[in-house]
Amino acid sequence: MIALTLLMTFSAVSANAQSKDRRKSFKSWDNYEITTEKVGVDGTKFVKVWGFGRTVDAATMAAKENAVHACIFRGLPGSATAMSTPPICPNPDTLASHEDYFQTFFAAGGPYLAYVSMTTDGVPSGTDRRKVKGGYKVGIYVQVMYDNLKRKLEADGIARKLSSGF
Amino acid sequence: MMRNTLLSVLSLVLVCWSASAQEKIKEVVTSNYNRNSVSIVNIQRGDSYDSNTQRAVSGFSLGDKYDINNIRTKSLRMPKTRTEGVSQTEVDEVVANTAFAREILASIFNRDSNGMMDDKTVRYRGNYDAKDQDVINARAARVGTDALGDLGHGLVSGSYIVLTDFYKIERNTDSKGNVYWTTNAQAYAYKIGMDRDALDSFYEQCWIYDDDDQAAREAKNRAFRNLDIPMIPVARATSAGTGSSVEEAAESCMGNLITGLENRIPAWEVAVSIIGKRPLRAKIGTKEGLKNGDRYRAYSYTEDRNGNLKSVKRGFLRATEISSNTGMSIGETEPSKFYQISGIANIDEGWTIKQSNDAGIGVALGPKFLGLGNSVGIGLDLDYLMNVSNVGSMSYFLLSGSIDLGKSDYLPLFVGLGFGYGLHLTRMFEIMPYAMIGGEHMGYSNSDKSNDRFLRESALVLEPGVRAAVNVAYPLQVFAKAYFDVLTLQGPLYKMYNEQVGHKSGLGIQFGLKWTF
Repeated sequence: MIALTLLMTFSAVSANAQSKDRRKSFKSWDNYEITTEKVGVDGTKFVKVWGFGRTVDAATMAAKENAVHACIFRGLPGSATAMSTPPICPNPDTLASHEDYFQTFFAAGGPYLAYVSMTTDGVPSGTDRRKVKGGYKVGIYVQVMYDNLKRKLEADGIARKLSSGF
Repeated sequence: MMRNTLLSVLSLVLVCWSASAQEKIKEVVTSNYNRNSVSIVNIQRGDSYDSNTQRAVSGFSLGDKYDINNIRTKSLRMPKTRTEGVSQTEVDEVVANTAFAREILASIFNRDSNGMMDDKTVRYRGNYDAKDQDVINARAARVGTDALGDLGHGLVSGSYIVLTDFYKIERNTDSKGNVYWTTNAQAYAYKIGMDRDALDSFYEQCWIYDDDDQAAREAKNRAFRNLDIPMIPVARATSAGTGSSVEEAAESCMGNLITGLENRIPAWEVAVSIIGKRPLRAKIGTKEGLKNGDRYRAYSYTEDRNGNLKSVKRGFLRATEISSNTGMSIGETEPSKFYQISGIANIDEGWTIKQSNDAGIGVALGPKFLGLGNSVGIGLDLDYLMNVSNVGSMSYFLLSGSIDLGKSDYLPLFVGLGFGYGLHLTRMFEIMPYAMIGGEHMGYSNSDKSNDRFLRESALVLEPGVRAAVNVAYPLQVFAKAYFDVLTLQGPLYKMYNEQVGHKSGLGIQFGLKWTF
């Protein structure tokens, strides 16, 4: 009987820890899924990206942020129909060294919104809209104005121009 | 000993619950619906009914919901008497010996006698099936909307054949000497066993190009003739029908057979997302064969602690206003409207709704008190849903029957027809004023053989009333009915019997349960 009680207690603690880990992983900016859907029209990237938030709207905004974040820092993975895209800022220290700039850039309603458009028809729906503990996880289709974003970061001295190496 | 048994039982329950949970995870309902294509083939038995049943099958229209693959084989010969239906094994054998998959491919790719094919049908179907999201995606991509036709290649795997079989065909005569026919029917559905790899292999081995030389053409034609693509059995449905001719009786079975198959083939059930509330709206319509009153079930999605996706049932809704979407999508499809009829939670934007066919027939049974006999009886009501409006008002055709148990010597039996108009104050509660006209028949005389005996033993009854029904666990409802029976135009024999029975106009009530099928 004692063994059974211990086993159940251990299971409950383990499940709780797993649940906390999972919630943390949702909130982490390094943990989002993004896939390249197709080759976008000139100067754009067409991706499907996921976000997490307390409401569907918050999760949708988070997904838009994630899409721009991926273009700047992570790069976009390839797919059956599109090549992978390297990040605009491949240097891993860029975020830390320009923290103030990116705080402003990614602030609520910040400049990043000028470089991303949601192309999901209506609201995130079906299996792209999941209720999870603490909120919603949504997947949306977005078009990132990649070339414009790159030019903006180059103009602001955040990203190095291709010509600067010569 | 007791404790060990208890622990064993507990462990077993946990294992079963876990297994059941795993099973549920696998059954995720999604909104990925694509059009399917169907060919109907009639099974002929080599008797005189072959031509009648063949005409019924050939004349049947599947409607806008399905594309039709015009294959060469329209009928299959299976010599066997019609005393029983052909079995699954027998049909499997015949299907395996017929080149249905090749015929389907030849139809879809317009293959001519030289083996030349084109993708016109595939591209047309791809464009026709494209949803608004596909159009928007295509516009955001460099390939553009011209690529929408490519979606049609994915639809090849949604090709089916349906084999119909009619048996126990019988000639009957009613009491007035009119002849009518009855038949039993069954349908077997088979799906083409062709995935994307098999389709790619087909293109590679069998597609003849203009610049192919004669040897290459022959090799590709040979490859086509040698294609070995299975037809996989997926469902069986049964029905029965009546008509003034064999053809009419067979025709009357066809709709039920297709509905029966729809209920058993998940890929045939339309699924789509809700795009707006007040009223609930979804981008389906006539193209998907949607009709007023059609029932759908709503699902939302969650993830369990391991990240496994689960669909959660959220109640039912019925189509109210149907949009005409029988054209190519341009990204702005007009949605149809729906009304939620059950479920605790309000159906929300983004949730998936999936076709969940029902007959729209409610059966209500319960004891009746007072009324004509001022006594206790049993009442059975049938209601058929005729129309649903955006605000949830529903029109019903009513058929009611009841028997007075207090005067069983004279067997007073009431049968009435009527019309009801249900108002939904909330989705859980319906109040329905109705009016009914019917007759009450009383007594039985063996010696009186006159033609008008039935009328002379009957009286006309008018019944205005109101019925209230509450969802308990949809489709189960509890109902209460209050009505006023007006007894009039009594036949002479009825009047005589009624002196003993004592039926008269009066207020009645009924309680009971209602189930919607």
